[in-house]
Amino acid sequence: MIEAFRLGVFSRGKILWDGLDFAFDDGAVWVAVGPPSSGKTLLFSILRGERRPDAGDVLVSGESLYRAGASVARSFRASCGCIPERFEGDARLTVEDLFRRSALACGGIPGKERIERSERLLSMVGLSGAENHRLSSLSGSERARAVLAAELLRTPKVLFADGMVLSAGDPFGEMLGGLFRALAGEGNTILLAERQLPARWSAVAGEGKPVGPFRIHRLPPIAGKEGAA
Amino acid sequence: MKEKVSLVWIDWRLGGRSIAWQSLGRFALLGLLAFAFLALHLSGGATRFLSSRYAITAVLRDSVSPEDAEGLARKVAELPAVRSASYRDPAAAWKEFLLAFPGVESLPDAGGNPLPGYVEIRIRHDRFTASGVGSVTSALRAVPSIDQVLAGEDSLSRFLRVARYSAALAWGVFALFLILFFVICRLQERLRASALAGDFGFLLERGMSSLRLAASRAAGAAITGFLLAAAAVVAAAAVLHFLLRRYPFLGNVVGAAEDLSAPSTAAAAAVFILCVALLAAASSLFSWMAARPSRK
Repeated sequence: MIEAFRLGVFSRGKILWDGLDFAFDDGAVWVAVGPPSSGKTLLFSILRGERRPDAGDVLVSGESLYRAGASVARSFRASCGCIPERFEGDARLTVEDLFRRSALACGGIPGKERIERSERLLSMVGLSGAENHRLSSLSGSERARAVLAAELLRTPKVLFADGMVLSAGDPFGEMLGGLFRALAGEGNTILLAERQLPARWSAVAGEGKPVGPFRIHRLPPIAGKEGAA
Repeated sequence: MKEKVSLVWIDWRLGGRSIAWQSLGRFALLGLLAFAFLALHLSGGATRFLSSRYAITAVLRDSVSPEDAEGLARKVAELPAVRSASYRDPAAAWKEFLLAFPGVESLPDAGGNPLPGYVEIRIRHDRFTASGVGSVTSALRAVPSIDQVLAGEDSLSRFLRVARYSAALAWGVFALFLILFFVICRLQERLRASALAGDFGFLLERGMSSLRLAASRAAGAAITGFLLAAAAVVAAAAVLHFLLRRYPFLGNVVGAAEDLSAPSTAAAAAVFILCVALLAAASSLFSWMAARPSRK
């Protein structure tokens, strides 16, 4: 469980937000919806233990990311997947390279196993046979899905995705919703930051809970799998 | 999630072909450096050449028999600073004199060979110092059968100074090339660190320790540097051995091919290899600090 207490951030010469409380249970998909420049990316950096908040603290399974040693935050980040809003990689980087370095980040996966799993994951996100494609040759949607597939190679316990659903566009947004809920059904926590909730998700996501400039929606895991974790 | 994989070869995993080319370039440069190092170590700059030009002459008394003179030469040759000591009888001395001063062939007819026998002593190049030469001359002067010791003391200090300065100059130039090697290593490492900054940033964002990454890369650079330097030393020694065999006159300047396998040469080569490994590790660490990927 990820909890944040009385979070406050001072940015660009003003207080961006202050006194925000969050609680993200395990085994669910959480969507933080907020307008542009509301600090969604910053919030995720804080929740991942990368950027110390100016006020408040973040606890993961009861342990502070900022008051305990740096190793706690590092260990938590090692168990996370992260899909940034913009991916500024080397123009020569191929999809295969993404999988290679993702494997390196989790301590190494044997080559054959990595290739088999990357083929399966790419097929799952609708990018079969894209292993040797350069990222610069992919569209924004394809790039976002390739990065997602590479992150899933490490089977992260917590997945942070910033603007992923919007980048993926239709019809992949719907597919991603199903995928994320299935992952949540296996006990993983998915945190999404979006400018708006995809229309088709509203039925299951409900009204959401307002927290500062954000509205936090919870998507339950796919029916029958809730509580599997 | 535990970090299991060794990161020592992370640059090779991520850099691939480019690091192979860089290593090839380093090997070529190290080959030249190793050749210069071995040649300098064996020659001592110009010391070996100058020591081969220098000789101490111990002029024997007329009463010394050829057998005693031979025995004396053998004893002198056992002194630590002496490379060789050979006896020349009066007849041989006269022939040498005639070669140097032709036209006085009839001189012995007047009253016999005017030249006495002598022992010619050559000094080891690594003992070619004032104290080394002094130890030999003082030992010779204590021998009753030796009439005079001609060691050219007047000009010896100048001779030794030339040897010292030439050695310092040669090692200075070598040090400059070693510094150039370090600068090139730093440039290569910096370029690579910049090229791989995206990968390193990715790993740092996913919980990899910056210290571990930097230390592992430096260890990898040190091991690569060690192996490249060792290979370069072997290659340079092989080339030097070939040249010394093929062109024996080089022996007067550099030394004998057998000296390459001497323990002192092996020790010097080990120091060279360790220095290169340390320089490679240092250049990796410095370039990491300069091009460290920033985290949000």
